[in-house]
Amino acid sequence: MSPSEFINILKERFGDKILSYKIQGDKRIIVKIDSSIVEGFASFLKESGFDMPITMGATDFIKNKVFEIFYGIWSSQHDFVILFKYDIPRDNPRIKTLVNIWSGVQKFERETWELLGINIDGHPNLKPLLLPEDWNYEEEGYPLRKDFNLKRYIAPWGDES
Amino acid sequence: MKDMLPYRYHPFNEIVELEGGLFQVNMGPQHPISGQGRFIVITDGEIVYKIEMDIGYSHRGIEKILENRSFIQGIIPLERMVMLDTSNIVMGYVMAVEKLYGVEPPPRAQYIRTIIMEFNRIISHLYALGLFAESAGWNPAIFLWTTADREPVLDILEMITGARWSYSFFIPGGVRADLPNGVKERILTTLDYLENRVRVYEDAWIYNETFRMRTEGVGVLPRSKAIEWGAAGPNLRVSGVPYDTRKNEPYAAYGELDFKIVTHTAGDSYRRGWARVEEIKVSIDIIRQAIENMPEGRIRVALPPKPVEEEVLTRVESARGEINFYVYTEGRDRPYRVKISPASFRNFYVIEMLPTIQTIRFADVPPIIYSFDPWFLDADR
Repeated sequence: MSPSEFINILKERFGDKILSYKIQGDKRIIVKIDSSIVEGFASFLKESGFDMPITMGATDFIKNKVFEIFYGIWSSQHDFVILFKYDIPRDNPRIKTLVNIWSGVQKFERETWELLGINIDGHPNLKPLLLPEDWNYEEEGYPLRKDFNLKRYIAPWGDES
Repeated sequence: MKDMLPYRYHPFNEIVELEGGLFQVNMGPQHPISGQGRFIVITDGEIVYKIEMDIGYSHRGIEKILENRSFIQGIIPLERMVMLDTSNIVMGYVMAVEKLYGVEPPPRAQYIRTIIMEFNRIISHLYALGLFAESAGWNPAIFLWTTADREPVLDILEMITGARWSYSFFIPGGVRADLPNGVKERILTTLDYLENRVRVYEDAWIYNETFRMRTEGVGVLPRSKAIEWGAAGPNLRVSGVPYDTRKNEPYAAYGELDFKIVTHTAGDSYRRGWARVEEIKVSIDIIRQAIENMPEGRIRVALPPKPVEEEVLTRVESARGEINFYVYTEGRDRPYRVKISPASFRNFYVIEMLPTIQTIRFADVPPIIYSFDPWFLDADR
């Protein structure tokens, strides 16, 4: 199956819940979906042969007041990657875990929880991973958010960028 | 936060007794050879109950640093992710930038890149083999051999790029410099030397009966689980999944070269080590072909003033496995968001999950972990 064939199947099944999509080359689909269908969409992907998670994360769009969550899944059967994205409100960042569908996203979700402050319901192992254990979120904030105060970390001799 | 981590109260004790007769053994965070990170092994007698990879001791926030640097400036901090394998890491980012700007580097640059990336893969695999041999209780001489055999390769890389480790040689649009005079002959001699050395490793070590007995059938990763947990690189290929980014999504000059990918179905520690030796042979073959078919022409093209694409996901086969970059830009000369998914980060999850499907003895923990070629700095970013 090629990416363009697969996008037709998705459009047929989910209709206008597919907000936009892009096909890049013959190995990539980037698709934006409505946040109400995430779980159904994910289990449909799993049934269609998309079995290996390769990336997961979130982007902080501070101007639009949303977090864009993205998951990248490769299919060992069709040999291409689908990157699906959806928006959640920035003032109440809360998603449901997809660990029960793709076990391999566990560490990625844990990292997203830690570095972007997105609550992940149902995640089995939410513990700090990369930051120091005594990291003070109230004072220092979440490092990958756009309102993170970088000025605290500028060296005394300045920053040339 | 600390309530959730009972065992972190004893970071410096080597062995802590937990409830229910379990023991927590901290391996690390100081390791003599492989960077800082801790394997928390919880054992029930000799049987491993749980492995947890405690990473983050060298988290540098590279994703955040890249957001605040222009694309070209970002290459230098990015190289610090894996110092053994800098060019393969940088390739993913450079390729993402090229796709965002819609440029295609000239063929000669692609061939030069391929040669440097394959040499990087060789030196990284040699180091990994040394670690694996040492962790399996093999004579430390193997580590000294592999380290010594990296030297001629590092000399060639210094000749081409001017540096031994962090080259900053790949830039969006091409490479910084052309091959110097006399380097081809030197490369060919070094490849002959390496080929002989690989034979020595095979005789003395890989096909040695003692080593096979120690590592065969240890830490078996079945195909279905390798896919489900997201294993990467040689670890995935020896579990029976013939995925290699160089073959499946050719980049640089890989599409024009003829090479095979190393696969196996056993999925145990032994085959993971074996695959690295076989991949060194494949890399030698790729470099020979690239030298032979090297096209003439320019080595660099200029980038247009503005990016044409908004976002891109690139995948590259680094020595430790697939690394992918999701780059989003708002049309400026710098990324808005970079998400790096390195191979070690995924392989660590696989190591953590291994005790759930099989019985692992404590003595087998080091060979299993080092057979996956872990690199903490890779996972930490």
